[in-house]
Amino acid sequence: MSIKNEAKEFIVFALIALLAATAFSYALFGITGIRVVAGIVFMSLPFYIFLNRFELAEGEKSVFSILLGLTLFPSLVYILGLVVSFRLGILITFVALLGIAIAVSKYESKKP
Amino acid sequence: MKLNKNHIQTFVFMLVYLFAVYFWSQPYQERKLPYGEFDAMSHFEVGDWMAYNDKSLVRLPHYIDLRYGNDNLFKPHTLWYPPPFHTALGIMEVAGGERIVPIFLLNTIMATFVIITTYFVINSLFGFLPAILSSLLIIFSPRDFMPYLWGQWPERFAYAFIPIILYCFYQYFISYSKEKSKPLYLYLTAVFLGISLLVHPLSLFHSGLGIAALYLFLSIKQKKLVFNWRHIAVSFVIFLALFLLFPYQTFNIFPRLGTKTDAEQSVEKAPIESIDISRIFKWSLDPNDYVGSVPSSYFSYKEMHGLWTLPFLLFGILFLLFRRQERDMLLLAWLASLYLVLHRDLIGKAAFLHRSLSATQHIFAPLTAVGAVYAGSFFKLPSNYNRYLKYAVVFAFAYFVFSVNMAGASQILNKEVYNPYNQNGFLTSINQEEAQASQWVLENVPQEYNLSVLGIPHTDDFISATAKKIRWMAAVSQHVNRFYYLMSNKEEVLKSPDWYIMVDYTTLLPLQDREPFKSMLNDALEFEKNALVNRTLVYNKNNIRVYKP
Repeated sequence: MSIKNEAKEFIVFALIALLAATAFSYALFGITGIRVVAGIVFMSLPFYIFLNRFELAEGEKSVFSILLGLTLFPSLVYILGLVVSFRLGILITFVALLGIAIAVSKYESKKP
Repeated sequence: MKLNKNHIQTFVFMLVYLFAVYFWSQPYQERKLPYGEFDAMSHFEVGDWMAYNDKSLVRLPHYIDLRYGNDNLFKPHTLWYPPPFHTALGIMEVAGGERIVPIFLLNTIMATFVIITTYFVINSLFGFLPAILSSLLIIFSPRDFMPYLWGQWPERFAYAFIPIILYCFYQYFISYSKEKSKPLYLYLTAVFLGISLLVHPLSLFHSGLGIAALYLFLSIKQKKLVFNWRHIAVSFVIFLALFLLFPYQTFNIFPRLGTKTDAEQSVEKAPIESIDISRIFKWSLDPNDYVGSVPSSYFSYKEMHGLWTLPFLLFGILFLLFRRQERDMLLLAWLASLYLVLHRDLIGKAAFLHRSLSATQHIFAPLTAVGAVYAGSFFKLPSNYNRYLKYAVVFAFAYFVFSVNMAGASQILNKEVYNPYNQNGFLTSINQEEAQASQWVLENVPQEYNLSVLGIPHTDDFISATAKKIRWMAAVSQHVNRFYYLMSNKEEVLKSPDWYIMVDYTTLLPLQDREPFKSMLNDALEFEKNALVNRTLVYNKNNIRVYKP
């Protein structure tokens, strides 16, 4: 499978940016800082994958997915947390959203 | 691999944003203790409760209910805000693996998110220079970080949605034609409108006015009316789904709209001739109406923005008014929406008026930056001189941001703010020793027991400050904390099997050489010696002692 140059470039850039944010958080707050950055990435990732199937600019996808991650992800966790444990709710939400996002993007890519 | 200009610019912005997080997180970077006013405690409490107790919060626990039990008029004793904001804090506490820093760090990121969304929108429509200059101005905006310090957390995050909502609607409008359109942007507008309601309703009303103004301006500019019932129906369903997601909280809007605040009642009762119509020519509010709750500097342009920005701001507005490109309409509509929300008292809706003022810099900063960047092109100069002039103005702009705005901001927001070990927060903030004792209470005192505290000054001269300290102790211990001497049933409490007694000397000991602290200390020591003899000492550390019934 060949990845477009543009996408490759973005991935490299995103990793560098993430590394910078992680190093910064570690310098200020130690391992807790790294875990917070990781938490935001995990909450936003399913939405980024989902938005990736639309014709949106890279900036739009990144900003929108963080906003959706910080709000819709917790909404689902809250609802699940009414019936299962909060921690389990986080895990189920992440797996479910990621699964849906990947399934949707796979389905789209198979379309003629 | 070739370096992409966009990526370099984004990376520069990222460094600026990380600096913003550094600057705003100063109060807890070293101490790692919670801080802030009563609102901050409540937001911490809700998120922390969910994470610590590993379940979603429906009915408020007693220590939160005491103050917020009736804030939800639709469903009293339940959450008074929709849960996403606080659940995000709880998730971060789980992810971060500790109670304080993850919640405060995520809150800082959310409160500064308006810097990201403003940068993104301005960069997309006006380019890098206006965008990065706008970001710099917002970082040092006291009208943004003062409410953040006070604890109006969800509201700070909610304002980040306004530029995004306007941007999505703008993209939908300008791409709209009968043959081809991008309804996705309208759907995203509906999604973000719905979410902004779930974070804080002020931002929804503000955005709604912004969309109305933008629609009007773009319709006039493009001489077309955009209306597609199918797009609108789908968007409405999306918004409705989000609105109905947490009905206990979103329905609270309706009884709230029906209730009148004191300010609204006085506006209503005022005779028509006494309503100050001249206010329509004023931007800010009268500081005298907020004495005791908000400092007068909050209403001053000079203090909040720096007078040096005014010519650029005015030039920016005039420039856009004369140029009137589609993208200019977005900024003008945003400005118009702010003007409208700031003057809603004229139609009798004065609640949280000063809080809407805290959204000023989000639109003033881009207008000021646009004014600065385009000021260089005002005069036609030969050769490349216009370009040089532009960069000279940008350089001067950055210089003033750091020398005036950052210097001013550092006076208010720094590492000493709410420091419990100096004058800033000695009486108001929870110190390390109290935090440790409160954590012990959380882990060792059953939930149904309450805590009565002695040793923290409780008299009229101190109560407004020390009430915050004791409330933070309640937040950390997840137990009801009350000043022993202020309880009407003191004698009963002493004999009651439901009350633990905490004697906290950490405030009085450093002040024991002066009155009235000396007497207070002696009283507490005397009380401990005589009144607590029948109780069991269960915690004795760092000059704090806890007695079991």
